[in-house]
This record gives sequence, C-alpha cells and structure tokens, in this order.
Amino acid sequence: MLSPERLSLPGPEYLAQRHVLTYMEDAVSQLLENREDISQYGIARFFTEYFNSVRQGTHILFREFSFVQATPHNRASFLRTFWRCFRTVGKNGDLLTAQEYHCLLQLLCPDFPMELTQKAARIVLMDDAMDCLMSFSDFLFAFQIQFYYSEFLESVAAIYQDLLAGKNPNTVIVPTSSSGQHRQRQPPNDCSPLDGVEASLFYQCLESLCDRSKYSCPPSALVKEMLSSAQRLTFYGFLMALAKDQGINRALGALPDKGDLFLDPAMDQELEKLVAQVSGLSVSGPTSSSGDTANLPVRNSPRINSPWKPLHHRRKMDAESEGSNEETDSSEN
Amino acid sequence: MAAYEKRRAAAAPAPTPAPAAGSGLAEPARAAVAADGLGNEAEFLLRAGVTAMVREALLKVLEARPEEPVSFLADYFERLVLGSPGAAGEAAAELPGPPQRLARALWYVRLAHHSHRTAFDSNAGAAYEVLGAGGRRRKAGVDGRLYSELLRRICQHGGAPAEAAAALLGRVRCRDHEAVPFDVFRYGVLTCFVLLEFAAKADALFGILDGGSGTADGRVCQAVLRALEDALGTGHFSLPSRYLEAGSKLGPDGLALAMDRALQERKLGSSMSREEFLKKATALFVAKVKPVE
Repeated sequence: MLSPERLSLPGPEYLAQRHVLTYMEDAVSQLLENREDISQYGIARFFTEYFNSVRQGTHILFREFSFVQATPHNRASFLRTFWRCFRTVGKNGDLLTAQEYHCLLQLLCPDFPMELTQKAARIVLMDDAMDCLMSFSDFLFAFQIQFYYSEFLESVAAIYQDLLAGKNPNTVIVPTSSSGQHRQRQPPNDCSPLDGVEASLFYQCLESLCDRSKYSCPPSALVKEMLSSAQRLTFYGFLMALAKDQGINRALGALPDKGDLFLDPAMDQELEKLVAQVSGLSVSGPTSSSGDTANLPVRNSPRINSPWKPLHHRRKMDAESEGSNEETDSSEN
Repeated sequence: MAAYEKRRAAAAPAPTPAPAAGSGLAEPARAAVAADGLGNEAEFLLRAGVTAMVREALLKVLEARPEEPVSFLADYFERLVLGSPGAAGEAAAELPGPPQRLARALWYVRLAHHSHRTAFDSNAGAAYEVLGAGGRRRKAGVDGRLYSELLRRICQHGGAPAEAAAALLGRVRCRDHEAVPFDVFRYGVLTCFVLLEFAAKADALFGILDGGSGTADGRVCQAVLRALEDALGTGHFSLPSRYLEAGSKLGPDGLALAMDRALQERKLGSSMSREEFLKKATALFVAKVKPVE
C-alpha cells in the first residue's frame, strides 16, 4: 500500500520487476525434472514448498551458478547462506587464501566461477599479492559487494578506465562541465603524479550510471556521502570503501553489521550443549587441539572453545599465523 | 522440506559434495526428460493441470500486485493445498470452524487492492461465500458477529489506529444476530481498506510535517487538518465535480497556502505527536462514512 506505483505498472513490467516469472519458470522446470515423485506428492504442494523455500532463501542451495545469480534476492540469499555456513571460520580467526574461500563457495554452488572469487580477493588485497591470507569478515564483505553488484562494478571499471584515459564517459548524459572539457584535452599520462581519478567527476558518472542501469546499484546517497570526503580515488580504493561501508551493507540487507557477524546466541547455546555432551563422553575432547580440556565448559576464549574447529585450523597453525591479528593485514588502512 | 531439499540437490547439474547427492535420483530423472523432448513436457504440464494452475496463480498475482510476490505465491499455493480434495477429505471431517473461515475470508479480501474494483469485488464475493459456508446441511450465511470480527481483523492486520477502527466499526456494524446482506458486507470491507489506506497516507503526511523528529508544529498540523476537513467537505460525493474540488484543495498549492497562513500567525504553537495527528485525521474520515442502517 505504501509503494503504489506497482499498482499502475503494466502487468508484464510488474512481473519482470519482481522476477515473478524467473521463479515460476524455475519452479516448473524443477517440477518437470522431478515429475515422477511429484504425481503422488501433489503439484500445489510442490509449488508451496518451492515458494516457501524461495521466501526463506534456502532455494539457492546447491543450485547452478546461473540461477544463484539470477535475481537480487537469490544473490542476497546466497550471501546469507555463505555467511551462516562458514562463520565458524571467522569465529576461529582462521585466515584463508582466495583459493580456499573458493572451495567453500563451491560447497554451496558447485560451478561457482573462480573469477568472481578472485575479483573479491582483489578488493581485499587492493589488487596486490594475490596469494595472501584474508580474514573471513574482510573477504565476506568484499565478496558481497563483488557478487551483489557485479554488473555495476563492471560498468564502474569501464568508467574508471575512461576517466583515467582522460575521456569523460558521460559526455552525452552529463552536461559537459568545465573540468570535464579540460580533462579531455589532457594527454592520458598527465595525471600520473596524482593517483586515480577526481572524486566529484567520478561521482557524477556513477550517478548517471545508477539512473540508467537496470541492475542493482548501491544507494547513490550513500555513495555520495562516501565520496564527499575524498579528493581523488583509485578503483580499488573505491571498492574497498564500498565493502567497508556499513550503510551500504545495511541497505543490501543480507548480512548483519560487522560487529554482529559472529554473534549467534542460538548456535552458541547449541554448541555449549554439544561441548558438554562431548566432554561428558570422553575426557579428551576430539576437537580440542589445545589439549586443555579443563576450560571446555567455560567460554573464556572463543577460539579454543569452538568444537566446530575446521580442517583449516591445523593447517593455519602450520602457517604460523596464529599470533596474528584477526584482520587481514593489508586491509588495515 | 527435507524431501524437497533432497530433490533439489539431485537436480543440480554437477555432482555436489553434499550428502544429499547420493540419493541417486538425478540420473534417471534427467535421462527421462531428455528422452521425452519438449512436446511431451508441454503435454505433461497440460495433462497434470500445471499449466492451468500456473496461469491461475499468475492472474492472482497480477490482480493483487503484492509487494512481495514470492510470499504471496507461497501463501496462495498453501491455500490450494489446504483446499484441494485430498486435504479437504481430512479437513472436512471436522468442519472448518469460524476461526479458519475467518482466516480464509481475510486472505481473500486482502488478495486484490481495492482500486482494482472487479478483482476486489470478486474476492469479496468469495470471502462472503467462505464465511457463510458454516453448517453441514444448511448454509449458515454471514451474521453480524462474523462480519464485525472480519472487519476488526482487517483493521488489526492493517495496523489501523485502534480508536479509528473502533469508531469505524461502530458506524458500519450490524447486530450480532442479524444476517448481513452482500452489499453491506462489501461496503463494510471496502470502507475498512479505504480507512487503512487513509491512515497510511496520513502517517506519511505526518512524516513530512515532523521531518523525522517525532513531533511536528501544532499550528501546521492544525492547518493541514483543517485543509483536509475542508476538502472532505460538506455534501455528498455523488457529484463528480466534488472530486475535482477536493483535489484542488488538497493540491500542493492549497496545502502550502494553508500551512503558510498558519505559520504567519505568530502565536506560540504547541507541538503535536504522530498519534494525535493520526487520531484527528482518521476521525475526519470516519465522520464521513455513511452509517449502515
């Protein structure tokens, strides 16, 4: 009732805008693939479960990549699922490489393209030293931006290159400002002493991009606020800022705030119970690599206590990064 | 749910590392589909009634234009399951009591926005049927008690201010034991939805007046309320020119003039809270509702 424009849209446009047909077509093709068991199960019940799982966001589990990225809702659901499944990695403070994060992604989506993972890693590592270890939260927030705003970022990269080369990519749409005119006549390498592009011009281009883009874009008010403090910026500087912006994270709505990323009282309680059971069964808890079973029931150190200690933990200890900060080093700027 | 997850896992194109992939359903199912070809798929969909069901569901979506079509569809199909012959067999053993019938009627009347008048009317008709289908042998019909309860739920569901809802119900109510004819039923339901929309608009209006602070200048609020009252005006709405007149009075110019005038009276104004503004605005609306005799 509060967004009445949907009531006046033509039917097909309304259906397209809300991706109704995407889901309906997918539901029907799923139904066809499983038609043997459906005849006794009931078609209406099948549709009910399908749309319920879409509503809950569990519909993207183990699906092909083309479907996972098909709608903003699917992308948000995938991000949420990824976070929920692997947050213990972050809780344990494990640092992983891009390749290892990619393996985790492939557990949820078998044909997830490596390219996307690498792009996300580039945001964290500022396009440098690609085999570095990253913290879970750094990777997660960079991955979120890269995955959710994929098409937007591609256009941004093109705009950035154009600006860098001294072209104003928006000469048709944005009225040529004096600075734009001026820059156009500059030879491209004239701005080499200054890194990146001018923030205000860059923002103008982004704004007009968002206006005409049919893909999801971050809210331009937030981008404007973000860019207002900078004079010039580089491409990866911009992406890093996007990834770290909690306002944009909130607007996207898939993940909690960075501070709440590992808060999950329900799961903690569940784990406490498991730990209590395990330590009751055998004195040497199978998951405790520290060997200190005395502190198992008391949660004084989340790193040692988590019984969900994954494989990577031991490997990481080999890598001798145990004493390092929870954050990836290169992101601390 | 678990069974469904398993099927979906099996339908994934590449082998999945999940335990569900071991169900072994994937290969035969896919082979069957490949062998059948497209013609057979269409035939299967037609024969199994999928085509008709999907068409019907999409029509409902288009009628209702819900904010969240996925939730809408999930609910829609769930109702179909509950209403289907198989499920009805179990459900009909004990007849659906008034709570179920009310819930179902509420679902019907909320399907389509009231500006889509044909769809809204047909849904109101369906709700009336459902609500009245009480006894096993005879049709119980809708009495005043059920009718009032439905209206109360509509208002509650839409988050209308309680006082306004109560006042409105007082105006359009029937006696508990009275049989409610369809036109009265439709009128009551429609009025409730218009009230909800009116309250939402008034709320948005206050949001502009207070500028996010929670309280707005009392004088400005009074001026807006007066302009609103003026526009709702005296006399009946049967004359088309009345709509134009009201529209012009509530146009940006008219409102701005009224607010300007209010601010120029340099009296020290008190502030007004959202609740108070909503209460006054909805009271204006309720006063205009024609009571049911």
